[in-house]
Amino acid sequence: MIAALGRWGNRKARDLGYALGFFFQVLKETLLLRRKRHVARHVLVLQILFTGVEAMNIIALISLAIGVVILVEGSTILPRFGQTNLMYSILIIVIMRELGPILTAFVIIARSGTAIATELGNMVVSHEIEAYISVGINPISYLVVPRVLGVTISVVALTVYFNFFGLFGSFIVAQLIKPVPFLEYFRALLTAIQVRDIVSTLVKSLIFGVIISTVATYQGFKVTSSVTEIPRAVIKAVGQGFVLCILADAMITLLYYV
Amino acid sequence: MSDMKGIVTLESVRVVLGEYQALREVSIGFEEGKSTVIMGPSGCGKSTLLKTAAGLIPPDAGKVLYRGQEMFQLSDKALLAIRRENSFVFQDGALWENLSLAENLALPLRVHHPEMPAAERNRKVIRALERVGLEDSATDRPASLSGGERKIASFLRALITEPALVFLDEPTLSIDHVMMDKINQMIRDMKSRGCTVIAVTHDAELTSTLADRLVIMDAGAVLESGSFDEVKRTKNTHARSILAKVLGEISSYDTDLLQLLDGEGDSN
Repeated sequence: MIAALGRWGNRKARDLGYALGFFFQVLKETLLLRRKRHVARHVLVLQILFTGVEAMNIIALISLAIGVVILVEGSTILPRFGQTNLMYSILIIVIMRELGPILTAFVIIARSGTAIATELGNMVVSHEIEAYISVGINPISYLVVPRVLGVTISVVALTVYFNFFGLFGSFIVAQLIKPVPFLEYFRALLTAIQVRDIVSTLVKSLIFGVIISTVATYQGFKVTSSVTEIPRAVIKAVGQGFVLCILADAMITLLYYV
Repeated sequence: MSDMKGIVTLESVRVVLGEYQALREVSIGFEEGKSTVIMGPSGCGKSTLLKTAAGLIPPDAGKVLYRGQEMFQLSDKALLAIRRENSFVFQDGALWENLSLAENLALPLRVHHPEMPAAERNRKVIRALERVGLEDSATDRPASLSGGERKIASFLRALITEPALVFLDEPTLSIDHVMMDKINQMIRDMKSRGCTVIAVTHDAELTSTLADRLVIMDAGAVLESGSFDEVKRTKNTHARSILAKVLGEISSYDTDLLQLLDGEGDSN
């Protein structure tokens, strides 16, 4: 029992050491990217296209729906307590500070995290990674760094996009259900937004982007030789991505608002 | 050991893959300008030895020297210079599936010759494809090619930078005779221009035409290593029985083996 526990602890410590080594390697190669951009730019553009551009529709739909729900619920319940003005603060807190970054992260984990882990896992099994090494291409700088940058840039941009649709787009849809005067809505909303709300949403999305992409590429690279390892790597990429993003979300919120 | 000097030298190399010891204290040198064939039963560590010698698998112990420099302690720049001089043909082709056939061939040129104008690079790629009749597939993804075409394409990718040293992992495995002839021709061309070739193969015909030196492996260790003529006449019965099994021959009588390795026997 104690021996098994010791082996488990050893394995976990080794995995953590490997993961930290991988992260620092990614960090180092990211800083050196300017020197190698001729080979990585194409991969970066494709990653932004896949992660950012192709996810715009689903992000718009989710943010619109959530914005409408908050707006309609708030404008129904809050007047009963004489707190109508709180609706705008609630919109900012729920959409900008919390749901915008975390829901965008969840969508990207489901779409791009899984795709990246699967693609890299397949590349390991089919020896494509070794082929890159054999021609002198560092797979971290050529495959991982563009994906980390592409996903991070996309998550930040999509979070801003989510906030825009959630806060402003929902107003248009809400007019069909429960009309709110246009000027009143925007004046109150802009008054309620503070700089730290904007900083919070950007910091969170930046950190989520790094987490999602690093975890997905790490899990893809952990595949060794068999295709049966790939689904397990994908499940781990999703599970760890969700857990780490939620933990990071809680920590950032605590740091900012406590 | 007599063969410790060469373009690539392994000194007491040990490689552990998971729980399995793939190479056990292997010391061997590969001479420049010579062709070496590595033979042994499946799972004996031939491909691991090849990949370790090529600098693709770092050893858990021991040293891998390239022209006397320890490969896994070199700077990125020095390592890139070594990669420019050598190429690897993988058993399954290992073409990059997200790139077209032409892009697969162009990428090593972009890495090793960034100064080369795009037009010249494209001309070089198309010329290489024309040599083997694949020019019409230039824009196709590897998934649309046959197994033999993929193998040929991986040869073209390896040779397009005109390397001094080529590693071949089962170059004629699972391909038809037409493709095999093309590959054999490419290997002969490599040899005739003085290229160092290190190959893992079970193919007796290829061995007989290619090998200057022969290495016999079993259970992660080198059993015999030396000139082709010496090794094929080895008195080591274990090595002889492995050679016989590898070549698909149930008999291990001297005459059968010598005929097979001299290219007089049927490799199938």
